[in-house]
Amino acid sequence: MLKVDRLGKKYLGRWIFRGLSFELGAGDRLVILGHNGSGKSTLLRTIAGLTAKTEGTVTLPDGDPRWTLGLCALEQALYGQLTVAEHLELTADLRGCPARVDELLEKVNLGYASAVPASQLSTGMKARLKLAMAIQPEPKALLLDEPGAGLDEEGRNLVDRITSEQSARGCLIVATNDPLERRLANLELQLA
Amino acid sequence: MRSQSGLVTGLLFSVVTVYAISFASLNATMTSTVVSGMLWVALLFSSSASLPRIFLSEEELGTGDLLRLTARPHAIFWGKSLFNCFQCVVTGTILSVLYLGFTSKAIAVPWLFAVSLVAGCLSLAGAVTLCGAIASQAANRAVLSAAIAVPLLLPLVSLGVSAVRVSLGLHVRHEDVGSLTEGIGAAIGLVGYAGVTLATGPWIYSAVWRS
Repeated sequence: MLKVDRLGKKYLGRWIFRGLSFELGAGDRLVILGHNGSGKSTLLRTIAGLTAKTEGTVTLPDGDPRWTLGLCALEQALYGQLTVAEHLELTADLRGCPARVDELLEKVNLGYASAVPASQLSTGMKARLKLAMAIQPEPKALLLDEPGAGLDEEGRNLVDRITSEQSARGCLIVATNDPLERRLANLELQLA
Repeated sequence: MRSQSGLVTGLLFSVVTVYAISFASLNATMTSTVVSGMLWVALLFSSSASLPRIFLSEEELGTGDLLRLTARPHAIFWGKSLFNCFQCVVTGTILSVLYLGFTSKAIAVPWLFAVSLVAGCLSLAGAVTLCGAIASQAANRAVLSAAIAVPLLLPLVSLGVSAVRVSLGLHVRHEDVGSLTEGIGAAIGLVGYAGVTLATGPWIYSAVWRS
């Protein structure tokens, strides 16, 4: 479903990671652990195609990546002037998939804030909205970067539910430096 | 994302430019060559002040990743280009009306002026959008944008000045602005320029989209 073969990324003359190979099938959940600056987020961005790789190959699930790949990252920015619902409508229009606004907002417990501009959302609410946008096309591969950051206990339960649902649909990669988030995965990769 | 700020910036810049030029040439006789040159300088600067921002702001705000994950590069380029074309034509029309009004310059060949203005604005929007799109992916955006803009915009300005000069000064006594054929040739050049920049833009942008 998702294959990474001898993947390497060099930045400013230093290898951030090199020779990484793994293959994930349906139901696989991989957690990438490592200290700050170990390259977890860069690895996710490289797999998603947002950062150019230096060497190696990434094979994504068959189909249009806009539909088959979802990424939720801490540093991902939102449009401050757009409301929560408008974000989901925009990403659905761009992807060409159903918006499912009400369904997704109910799932991430953000229905009460559907008309609130993103600039007025708290950190946790932004994280929920990004989760909703990531799972909107029901991707075969879901990449989550520090999914628990900024979320309360209810939010972390939401992440648990979403990762469980993803197991039934495809594969999952979680990048984190929180050892507690090992619970989300059945496979581990430690970056030095 | 498109916002009203670019349109407002362009319009404000146009009004200030028209006022400054009119004030500076209060008692001077403006030939068609000077008027067309100044009109294009105003058009160029008003568009350069706002149009490239449409791509740069996505990278500066960090929303570029959201677009890369959800959209095709062609869709993004076309969406932003069409908005820039609309903005440039609106700004150019208002600027021309104000400028010609202030300078009391009559238009000798109205249809040639209209074609030159619209095609010139579309070319300008296409070229400046392309510069912004390419430069937005680079680390040193300002320098790269300027370096790309010079060779792209010089032929465009030459064609635009030629076409507008003929449309303003044809048959005007004591003014040698060239023949109607030369004006039409320049206008056709502008139409071709607009077509090339807008047609190749999506392909070029696709190439730099994920770099």
